[in-house]
Amino acid sequence: MLQIESLSCFRQDRFLFKDLNAKVLPGQALQIVGENGSGKTTLFKILAGLFDEYEGRVILADAGRPLYLGHRYAVNDQLTPIENLNFLLKLNDMQQAEGPLTAALARFQLCSGLDQPCAALSEGQKKRVALARLMLTSARIWLLDEAFSALDAPGRAVLSEVCQAHLASGGTLIFSSHQGIPEFASAAQLHLKAEL
Amino acid sequence: MTLLLRELKILLRSPAGAIQSLMFAVLVIALFPLAITPDPDQLAPLGIGLIWVVTLLACLLAADKSLASDYADGSLEQMVLSDYPLWWMCLVKSMAHWVSCALPLLLMAPILGAMLAMPLDRIVWLMASLVLGSPILSLFCMLGAMLTVGLNQSSALLPILIAPFLVPTLILGTQWATTGGEAFYGYMLAALLCLSVVTLPFATAVVAKIAVSR
Repeated sequence: MLQIESLSCFRQDRFLFKDLNAKVLPGQALQIVGENGSGKTTLFKILAGLFDEYEGRVILADAGRPLYLGHRYAVNDQLTPIENLNFLLKLNDMQQAEGPLTAALARFQLCSGLDQPCAALSEGQKKRVALARLMLTSARIWLLDEAFSALDAPGRAVLSEVCQAHLASGGTLIFSSHQGIPEFASAAQLHLKAEL
Repeated sequence: MTLLLRELKILLRSPAGAIQSLMFAVLVIALFPLAITPDPDQLAPLGIGLIWVVTLLACLLAADKSLASDYADGSLEQMVLSDYPLWWMCLVKSMAHWVSCALPLLLMAPILGAMLAMPLDRIVWLMASLVLGSPILSLFCMLGAMLTVGLNQSSALLPILIAPFLVPTLILGTQWATTGGEAFYGYMLAALLCLSVVTLPFATAVVAKIAVSR
């Protein structure tokens, strides 16, 4: 469960957001909606624990560390998709054999070139490498900042399937997206509006 | 261990940065006798100081590159969020920095020494002082790189910020080698190394948290 209580963030001489309240139960999704510059990424950073200059409370009840995927999704150009994935899992102390790694990448339609450095991949393919981590993580709360952008239609379809499976298994999902995601049209929404 | 392996793989696949600082060091040593004097009697006493200064500058030169890509692609954020102790990752980063720029120079020290007409025992003391001293340089460089990562003019700011902290190491290292291993300097250098290893990774970790929240 994730709960936000009267969360305010003051940045660069203005309130980025003020008095936000939200509660997301296991199995529920929450969409963060807001214009460019309305503070979505800052909110995600606060939830992930990267940014702590805020007022109010963020409560992550017995769910362990959330998994945060931001605009910059930590795929190194010099490493192969397998090595990247291995490193990202290792950071959360999850050693994986190569089998599950390849399977996770295959789920995101990355089958060839797995032994080539990621520099050769397109932006969307790099994003898929980062997203493949979702298949293997044990994190119960997913924070996906603009995860649906840079993906083609089949990629978005796979991602929403993976997210729905996560919700079905009692996970929590917080995401932002400028495109409408039909599968999550009924998800609760949190609107950010910059106050001057 | 996996983390160190990752760093070394990245270094091996994009060796331009490491080669650049190595080339810089070798070129300075090669050009120095041409510009000053080829006379061995005048060159030999300068050798230790010259190679130490060049090593220090090469370390500074490579420092900001080692973090730039991790910051740009978001790996640094993920490292801060990971279950691993952050100080350990900062230590690994420093080790990778040392392997990429101090170790090649250390291995080349006999050749560089010969280019400056240094006698063999001087070269041995030089290498000993670099073994003790260069890890301190790498640890400080990583702290400086973390402080300036993501800033626009980081490569200009970093040397100004960090160079003063490298001076004690430079003095102790060169003095130890020139005096042919006077115990005082050796102990001080070793003490500085121990102090740096146990404190600087923690300082760098604190700074890393600030860096990702910018």
